[in-house]
Amino acid sequence: MSAVDERRSGPGALASLRLRYSRTFGMAALIALLAFLSLYPVSMLLFGSFHTTPPGVAGAFDLAGYREVFTSETGLVLLNTVGISLAKTIPSLALAALLAWIVARTDTPARGVLEALVTLPFFIPPILTAMAWGMLGNPQVGAVNQAWRWITGSQAALFNVYSYGGVVWHMMQYSTPFLFLFIVEAFRAMDPSLEEASRMCGASQGQTLRRITLTLMLPALTTGFLLSFIRGLENFESPLFFGTPVKIQVVTTLIYDSINQRSVPEYEFATAMSFAVLALMCLLVFWQWRLLGARSFQTVTGKAYAPRLIKLGPWRWATFAICVLFFVVAVVLPVGQLLAGSMFRFFGFYSWDMLTLDHWTEAFDNSDIRRGFLNTLALGLAGATLTMILGGIVAYVSVRTRWQGRRIVDILAWLPWMMPGMVLGVGFLWGFALLPGPVSIYGTIWALLIAYVALGTPLSTRVMSSSYHQLAYDLEECARVHGAGFWRTLWSIVVALSWPSFAVGWVLTFFGIMRELSASILLYSAGSEVLSVVLLRLWGNGQSEVVSVVGLCTMALVLLFRWAQARFLARAVATG
Amino acid sequence: MAAKIRLAALAFAMAGALVTAAPAQAQVSDWSSVVQAAKKEGSVVVYSMALGAPYYNEVVRAFERKYGIKVESLDLRASELVERIRTEQAAGRFIGDVELISSTMIEEQVVADKYVQKFPAVPNAANLRQPFATTDFAVPAYIQAFGILVNTQLVKPEEQPKSWSDLLDPKWKGKILSDDMRPLGSGSTMFAVLHKEMPAGFHEKLARQQLVFSRDMRNDARRVARGEYAFYIPQVFAFASDLKGLPVKVVAPVEGAPYALLEFALLRNAPHPNTARLLVNHFLEAESQLVYANAWNAPVIGGIVERANADARPFAESKLMGAATLAERPGMMELARKIYK
Repeated sequence: MSAVDERRSGPGALASLRLRYSRTFGMAALIALLAFLSLYPVSMLLFGSFHTTPPGVAGAFDLAGYREVFTSETGLVLLNTVGISLAKTIPSLALAALLAWIVARTDTPARGVLEALVTLPFFIPPILTAMAWGMLGNPQVGAVNQAWRWITGSQAALFNVYSYGGVVWHMMQYSTPFLFLFIVEAFRAMDPSLEEASRMCGASQGQTLRRITLTLMLPALTTGFLLSFIRGLENFESPLFFGTPVKIQVVTTLIYDSINQRSVPEYEFATAMSFAVLALMCLLVFWQWRLLGARSFQTVTGKAYAPRLIKLGPWRWATFAICVLFFVVAVVLPVGQLLAGSMFRFFGFYSWDMLTLDHWTEAFDNSDIRRGFLNTLALGLAGATLTMILGGIVAYVSVRTRWQGRRIVDILAWLPWMMPGMVLGVGFLWGFALLPGPVSIYGTIWALLIAYVALGTPLSTRVMSSSYHQLAYDLEECARVHGAGFWRTLWSIVVALSWPSFAVGWVLTFFGIMRELSASILLYSAGSEVLSVVLLRLWGNGQSEVVSVVGLCTMALVLLFRWAQARFLARAVATG
Repeated sequence: MAAKIRLAALAFAMAGALVTAAPAQAQVSDWSSVVQAAKKEGSVVVYSMALGAPYYNEVVRAFERKYGIKVESLDLRASELVERIRTEQAAGRFIGDVELISSTMIEEQVVADKYVQKFPAVPNAANLRQPFATTDFAVPAYIQAFGILVNTQLVKPEEQPKSWSDLLDPKWKGKILSDDMRPLGSGSTMFAVLHKEMPAGFHEKLARQQLVFSRDMRNDARRVARGEYAFYIPQVFAFASDLKGLPVKVVAPVEGAPYALLEFALLRNAPHPNTARLLVNHFLEAESQLVYANAWNAPVIGGIVERANADARPFAESKLMGAATLAERPGMMELARKIYK
């Protein structure tokens, strides 16, 4: 027997075989898990879209749901959705680009503070700002309109938040900081040599900005536009609050109404509609991939450019004012309204005899709020951790290995990106209701956890992929050459170097869970209510004053987390 | 009063075969063992359509204090509650113990032969006043009646409506906020009752007033108080009882008030059946019914209306116009969709 044969049949071959089997088993388990999180709800949607009765009720199969989807009435809702999303994305992108340019490329004072202030609305649950704007922009008694009447003496309202404009306005407050976060790093990471060349060739600052800076930014701006547009199609809170009362419907509110606001829930239509939305999203994402290739999500890179700051002279105070104005409108006004709302007996009636602290006592005594808060916190902590671990594993497999099946893993992890929370919620509602055997998930807190992990996985995967891309392969090889095993290498090299990205992704996912409403509203039950659902119910019950108290406490929590994130992450990165 | 109650009796008679008063009057000999068992169960889950009503919370808190048993409530509109119960039970999840919901919803669940189980007798059912009675599946809880909410700053006293017909005045066009009459709920109850009791063509004329529909009943009353609209219909009397101090007034129209009978039913495979019984019995205590009466509801126990506060009595004993029935529901809903496109 040759030496080679000996190795093949010896303990080394056995270990290699064991490793291969355990890898195959691990990949199969990972694919099964991801399929459960993404393919299962999609297949349940497909099943439900042909099924004539609600889940759990015997029925037949037909095409009635799709026939209803392809009507002019539903088409109009679809057009409405696309129109609203476009209407909010274009101004949001322009504003975000302006703010990002101010913060990253000009000598505007206090840029670091301004950046923190401009991004703050991204972390505030939209349901809270929706409630605040419901009070601020009310045409009769809203504070903004009252102030307008007082200043101008006009009888007419400045604006009515219950309108198309109101829906777009509220969506902009979330999408602007989202786009800002996306674009600002691209501004910072820009190679300044082209701009310098332009200036040296005699172009003015304005010409350079238009012809060079914005042209260089085009990929980031296009990606941001598409992502924000897709998110706009998925939006639920803004049309629910400001569109539904004036009969403005979008696909998410139509799906929700079909299940919850009909005498007999129209599941067949709701699932057919969800499936149609899913198909539309697939087309959009495919278009995004074709258009942008692998550039998506890669604005945060390790390039060490230091673009020259543009000196604005006295205009720097104007740019400073623009940033502050955005912060005032997007944060100070809603927070101020919530504060006022919490201190008066009835919202909209501001007189000394109506001042009270009863709503604070009521909010802290309310067991529903307490339970909703604790559930949200537990789901946020567990959900963010699990999502990031899963994202870390998926990203590792697809970026740093050549294992068979890694492409499937990548696609399955990406699939929920195409599913709005409402669509995924409908899919899981069907899926959990029809789970075979003794497994009972529907109506438990696990249903929410699973949905949150599914919704968060695309983001966590991208965050971790970006991080792994920046790690040189020779570090791992070096560790292996020095005798470290697979797990030791993984822990000492990959985990040790990528955990700051893990932490950033964790915070984003945590706040994503804190914000989530559209899937939660379909999957919660008695005992598993989350804060956003409790707040929506309180609002619907006319308890806007108590909602204000909870809103303020939540915002305090957001600030605390932001402060901790900035403090501890900055320290970790500095010492890492 | 007797005349008002006769109307209610007529509606209940339509439930015909389901009404079996005899079990309700039976003495519950082993009640102390039910109490002991309930204390062992330790908690109860109620699916209610109280929509955050303070009087519901007050009675629940009194129960928790009295027995040391925790009450969890899932508080939703009737149509959402029924759908949740259906889906949960289809998924094999039996979370809720008891529901507090309109009688037609329970009737529908009984017809479906699912979702609810027979309700064992509770001692306080013996105190139900005529014509209220328990059935095999349901125990009456209270009457929720509807009127018109008026903003007193937008509507002068001499213009305030006295009849449902007064809402048809063209000057109120675009100024009426209404619970959506097309899906199930208070709006559809009002639609059905007014369709039956008001002169022909009433709804067609009301539709020409360009009603604005909403589904947030409690919040909608606030919107009228804030002056967004002059009227809100149908205003649950009890939901207006906590708006004292605001420029609103509730009108009980001369023709009478459409109403819904709210009842308890025991959900199938309820995890805490004894606590559910104990809680229902507690809701039928005189003190609990007085809380409801003082919040402008009509109680189902005798001798309560007389003890209610002066401001509450007109509503607790208001003239009732009629209730919606299960049999007529599909036709009425189709008609509502046709008239209020």
